Amino acid sequence: MIGTVLFCMFLILLLGGVPIAVALGLAGALAIALADQTLMAMPTNVYAGIAKYPLIAIPMFVLVGCVFDRTGVALRLVKFATALVGAGRGALASVAVLVAMIIGGISGSGPATSAAVGQVVTRGMVKDGYPRPFIAATVGAAAATDILIPPSIAFIVYAVMVPGVSVPAIFMAGMFPGILAGVAIIVPILIISWLKDFGGKNAERDENSVWQSFKEAIWGLMAPVVILGGMRIGAFTPTEAAVMAVFYGLFVGFFIYRSMTMKDLYEMLVEAGEISAVILIIIALASVFAWSTSTLGIVQPIAGWIVGLGLGEYGTIALLMVALIFIGMFLDGVSTFLILLPVLIPIARAFEWDLTWFGVILTMKIAIGQFTPPLAVNLMVSCRIAGVTMESTIPWVLWMILAMFVALALVVVFPDIALWLPRVTGMM
Amino acid sequence: MAADFDPTAPQPEPRTRIPLTLERVLLAAAMGAMALITAANVVTRYLSNISLAFTEEYSVALMVVVAMVGTALATAGGRHIRIGFFVDKLDPGRRRVAEIMALGLLIFCFGLILWYGGRMVWDEYDFEVLSPGLGHPQWIYTICLPVLAVLVIGRALGRIIRLARGEDG
Repeated sequence: MIGTVLFCMFLILLLGGVPIAVALGLAGALAIALADQTLMAMPTNVYAGIAKYPLIAIPMFVLVGCVFDRTGVALRLVKFATALVGAGRGALASVAVLVAMIIGGISGSGPATSAAVGQVVTRGMVKDGYPRPFIAATVGAAAATDILIPPSIAFIVYAVMVPGVSVPAIFMAGMFPGILAGVAIIVPILIISWLKDFGGKNAERDENSVWQSFKEAIWGLMAPVVILGGMRIGAFTPTEAAVMAVFYGLFVGFFIYRSMTMKDLYEMLVEAGEISAVILIIIALASVFAWSTSTLGIVQPIAGWIVGLGLGEYGTIALLMVALIFIGMFLDGVSTFLILLPVLIPIARAFEWDLTWFGVILTMKIAIGQFTPPLAVNLMVSCRIAGVTMESTIPWVLWMILAMFVALALVVVFPDIALWLPRVTGMM
Repeated sequence: MAADFDPTAPQPEPRTRIPLTLERVLLAAAMGAMALITAANVVTRYLSNISLAFTEEYSVALMVVVAMVGTALATAGGRHIRIGFFVDKLDPGRRRVAEIMALGLLIFCFGLILWYGGRMVWDEYDFEVLSPGLGHPQWIYTICLPVLAVLVIGRALGRIIRLARGEDG
């Protein structure tokens, strides 16, 4: 009874446009009150929900993204990648995907990557003969690899919520599935570009020498190395790796590219602080929701019911896949994890799935949801930059969704794609 | 609109009576301090035998400050993550009403945090609860929860007034 009230109240608030954090907090508070418990549990859980050391990685990685965004590294990466692959049919579109993947190795959020890449490639791609809806589809899909390629805020939240999964381990586990997803998206992009003759139309393209553009781009290319390398050799915790990347980015911005001022620094700190707060307050109030659902024993029956359906391993994964992609169309990755993990983890335990691998495939499903119309957040950002409607992207983006599904299916069938890297690096 | 922080959304500066510079300076200071504390931690670990691991407690407290102050800033600008898909289909008048109702619920939610958070802090002060790491009185950290909840509520009230006057949104 209380469970039904809790979820109905939550759904009404959520669909009524109430901030997700408030919907979670009030639904949790109502359930606590209905169960005749004291509401003192609310501030206790709010404070304990965010006062956790591993979570400091979130504001720090958000700051890394803001710093590198302002250095103008995206533009230099595009120039370098273009110099490498030339300008044939589909070349610039593939460059957009590759650059989104590298930026994914610096920043931890999909929409931010979609904006950074979209702003840099859209004009050039239009000149090169790509239709605008195709550009928006490419950028939106490419940015979805961001939450798989470390660092990823969704992974940090998953690792903090799931006992036995460490942040470095799941970062490493996301690496190859992220690259696989990026490559999978490039396949339909190239095929469509060849068939429809997209790209290679810009006659007045300024030729960059590979070496010259490499010298400019190397500073950006080194950023993921600083972040992952530091964690790999065990020199830094993820939070420390993020802070090192912040100082590295500031060094590049102030002394190498000389594109940054003290005013920029202040604005970046404020911007990163606000974006982090919007995520952290959801985590804080979600812990009230999670506390009430687990204390009142609402979660276990749902998990038990799904396991009891007798769908088998792959059947259950398929069911979760459909459910998560649908939810991923409405909610961001972090909120999805916060709301659903209490139900999903007991299911994974019942089937004795590896929890690190489970986190990776859940994140892949959310990534697909991020560029599936009509509500996809990455696609919304790239459409606004390209100046097209989301409906117009459907004929193109469908093929990219299909491609990423194939990548997801491969990771489901061959868990080693995810688990090989953390195992050989000794992370798990 | 889907739910996530949208970096390309227009960000008009709301006309607040108390300038948002208050939140901005606090946020920048807290974020900068967190980064510097963590960096100092790494440097001392590799250059000396002194461990600054105890600074974790300060970083965590600063993160709670960032979360609450940034929430106030996002509330003033209407930038919280929400599912706007259905609400944004309404005509401007009704959308305004829906947003005022949402802000009312936000005030109720942070009112609960203020009231019960205040009692939690009082209990910790009364029973002289000490922090697990450094043994400081716990209330000097947790007091930021009810205090900054007042800030969030104030910003929500300000936005309700502006919405009712036909500004913002």
